[in-house]
Amino acid sequence: MYRYDQFDAEFVAGRVAQFTDQVERRISGELSEDQFRPLRLMNGLYLQLHAYMLRVAVPYGTMNSTQLRKLAHIARTYDRGYGHFTTRQNIQFNWPRLDDVPQILSELASVEMHAIQTSGNCIRNVTTDQFAGAAADEIIDPRPVAEIIRQWSSLHPEFSFLPRKFKIAITGAPNDRAAIKFHDIGLMAQQDEQGKVGWAVYVGGGMGRTPMVAKEISPFVPHSDLLAYLESILRVYNRYGRRDNKYKARIKILVHEEGLATLREQVESEFLQVRGGVLNLPDDELSRIKAYFAPPAFKDSDARFDLAALKVSDPEFARFVLHNTNQHAQAGYTSITISLKPVGGVPGDATDAQMEVVADLAQRFSFDELRVSHEQNLVLPHVAIDDVRAVYEALNGAGLGEANVGQITDMIVCPGLDYCALANARSIPVAQEISRRFGSARRQEEIGDLKIKISGCINACGHHHAGHIGILGVEKRGTELYQITVGGNAGENAAIGNILGRGIVAEEVPDAIEQLVEIYLKARSGAEENFLGTLKRVGEAPFREALYGND
Amino acid sequence: MEMIEQSDPISAHQTNAGKDRLRAFGIITLNSMFAQKDASGVLRMAIEDLLADELAVVSSFGADSAVLLHMVSKIDPNLPILFLQTGRHFPQTLAYVKTLSKRLGLANVRLLAPDSDELVRFDPDEDLWKSDPNACCHIRKIVPLDKALGGFGGWVSGRKRYQTEERGALSHFELTSDNRIKVNPLAYWEGADIAAYKKTHDLPEHPLFAEGFASIGCAPCTSAVTNGENPRSGRWRGLNKAECGIHFDVNRRISPAMNKAELTLFRDGEFVADPWGKWVEGTAPVLARYVHVPLVEFVVNRAAYLASLHPLGLLVGAGDDVMEVASDLGRFSSIAVEFPAFTDGRGYSSARLLAERLGYKGELRAVGDVLADQIPLMRRCGVNAFVVSHAATRKALEKGVPGRIDVFMQPAGGDEIPVGTRAFVRRAPNFTVSTP
Ligand code: SF4
Ligand code: SF4
Repeated sequence: MYRYDQFDAEFVAGRVAQFTDQVERRISGELSEDQFRPLRLMNGLYLQLHAYMLRVAVPYGTMNSTQLRKLAHIARTYDRGYGHFTTRQNIQFNWPRLDDVPQILSELASVEMHAIQTSGNCIRNVTTDQFAGAAADEIIDPRPVAEIIRQWSSLHPEFSFLPRKFKIAITGAPNDRAAIKFHDIGLMAQQDEQGKVGWAVYVGGGMGRTPMVAKEISPFVPHSDLLAYLESILRVYNRYGRRDNKYKARIKILVHEEGLATLREQVESEFLQVRGGVLNLPDDELSRIKAYFAPPAFKDSDARFDLAALKVSDPEFARFVLHNTNQHAQAGYTSITISLKPVGGVPGDATDAQMEVVADLAQRFSFDELRVSHEQNLVLPHVAIDDVRAVYEALNGAGLGEANVGQITDMIVCPGLDYCALANARSIPVAQEISRRFGSARRQEEIGDLKIKISGCINACGHHHAGHIGILGVEKRGTELYQITVGGNAGENAAIGNILGRGIVAEEVPDAIEQLVEIYLKARSGAEENFLGTLKRVGEAPFREALYGND
Repeated sequence: MEMIEQSDPISAHQTNAGKDRLRAFGIITLNSMFAQKDASGVLRMAIEDLLADELAVVSSFGADSAVLLHMVSKIDPNLPILFLQTGRHFPQTLAYVKTLSKRLGLANVRLLAPDSDELVRFDPDEDLWKSDPNACCHIRKIVPLDKALGGFGGWVSGRKRYQTEERGALSHFELTSDNRIKVNPLAYWEGADIAAYKKTHDLPEHPLFAEGFASIGCAPCTSAVTNGENPRSGRWRGLNKAECGIHFDVNRRISPAMNKAELTLFRDGEFVADPWGKWVEGTAPVLARYVHVPLVEFVVNRAAYLASLHPLGLLVGAGDDVMEVASDLGRFSSIAVEFPAFTDGRGYSSARLLAERLGYKGELRAVGDVLADQIPLMRRCGVNAFVVSHAATRKALEKGVPGRIDVFMQPAGGDEIPVGTRAFVRRAPNFTVSTP
């Protein structure tokens, strides 16, 4: 993975020193909260409902064991013994003290991590496929390009005060695991006729109160031009994006109001000017960065899982293999997803002890590599198939052996009213209830892959729009209510879910989900037809009827 | 005609005659001897009687100077005429010194030059007028004039009451704080009197008068005035300065030195006086000088602005498209990019387009909500001057440029290290590319 050189180290150290000074000025009273706010946000420090929250970037979701151990140490020393992994492949600490924050940042810097640009109206942490550099279906490892984008966007002098936050996601595989079409810019690797790899660029996706699926602005941008193209989009957005209304300030609104064709025209004419200039990405620079992401020293192996046999001999483990492993590009290896969604637990949370366990496993079994997925799980990307059993046992010992990846209890859930100042409703307790309701392995097996996503308000941090079943907390006359949507999809066939009807109270939510699942199970043509397939075939009516009757 | 280049006092001999005479007459008597507008009477009395052989005229050879000089030439064309050759005059003024002297037959015009050592020492880049106009006037006007006046008991000035508030109490004769008599023959003249006199005697105008300059001093510190404006309001426009210090009256009513806190323009590492004023809606393009004309206004009246000869600035509002003035940038000596709120980042794009794409090299200033923590980013976008009103930012800047970022993760314009000398996207001194 990428390692800081002297340059990155200096850059981050400079930012830590700067923020340390700003915190001192805040504590001494020289800076008011109003003046401090934009400064702390630039360093990932939010003021939440009960306390400050520090959001630490895990660049494109890649970490090593040293870094995860540092995160465990921070959770233990400065927080209440846990951290929360987010849908942006970041980690959040919910209880740091302001005067500890500079120290936390310098501890992070010591392991090449930071909190820069995890908030504010700037280009945020670039996210990618959690199986990048490992997945069998990959055209190209997106991480070198993600790293180059990280560098280009770090404290960009022109784009630090955009109309609104700006999120870029990139995937090197045709099966989109990074929800790129729900980002301001989504990049998907493409191969042209000559076999040259470049990027299809999508623009204007997003969740929030006006969810939009990104549209293709360019079918193919070669590596060498990518930064110039991104800079062109950002410049057009910075100049013309709306600033009069924060809810209309994302680039998706510009795309929507101006039309894709107009935006494309503006971007292309800017691109003509920028292209071939200082942002031209030379091949040797790409190779230099690529070298950091060279595949580890895999051993030749033809080990495979014999699932059929395992199902008989060790059904629990078979389940784990079935759900929690992903096909690796290298024979004899697999990627293991560690579910942070234990039944009845808080989705995305990991204790310091669990982080230590995972760090050990990464070191011992995964070439010291780790990933965070946007679905709030951790990943050991390169595990020899022969080692999976050992990993599984260790995970079980730490309460991390939940074999539910991709299933109904593997939900994306925002912090909601328990932490978030903007929330209308709680999301974690609702998730916990649903998780208990569907906790049984047999039940989940029967249902198959089904993605539930929950947000505590319309800001949609829990990606409810993209959930096969989405749950959205709303507030009506002082009561927390939940709207249910169906049909969302975060993948390459991105789609936004439709609301089925009026909001229901928290206690009714698990029943409602149960009813939807029942309809699906009854209506599906067979076990291989997933929820979305059935929905498409039979329409929403039966689902709506199940919840609201015929009224 | 004889012209004497002079920077030393003509003679060191001190005279007391002037003040004795004044005492003898009594200043009140003197000032009641002449009808208010009897300029020639006052002048004749001063030249022939009161200060015979120890009187000089100090003239700026400005817009109105011909009137007084014409009167002088009729009484005594050999009277010493002192002209402060500040080195910063409009070429038109220098030409006018010659033509007017010749026309009027003035035989004793003396050019007072500043001390060249002082210039080298205090104003090597000829921009002292920007940072400290009082000091500039001191070197270029006050010191040379003081030296030259050493040999005189008094001098004649062309000041008039209506020119500025400070001059509202002017009388024909004054006793100055350095014990000289200052004679103001035109004290009670109005603009119309001047104009009529010029007409009657067919006096040549200063070449800049036609262009709207009603009071003409050094080029950098003079701008034109609009109709109805006080004629002297074009001098040191935007600065809290109305007199250059040579008119050091008994009542000492010259403008005080500028207070440091009033300097709002941060340039080249320090706060300096801002020579630029505020553009006022409705100003005729031909009269706009030393103001930042809003881009939209400029575009509408483009031809008129381009035809004007005067220093002009451009104000780029947050929503303005700088590409609209791409071909006019040479016209501006300063461009102000507006940041209506620190969260509004459009100015960063405008600045980069100006500095990088359009190659604008002049002063590029940030105005509006300019805060310490944004300044490093602005600098990287090519901004080289900042108008600062925020107190904490001011304090931070006084301590040194805050949060100076010296390693950069991406190329941007400005004075950064060129591409090709380091790893692709990065900018920093002494950095070597590493590999894993
Ligand atoms: S979706 Fe709303 S409640 Fe949930 S974390 Fe985001 S802002 Fe907070
Ligand atoms: S008028 Fe202006 S240039 Fe001339 S001496 Fe005074 S400050 Fe300097």
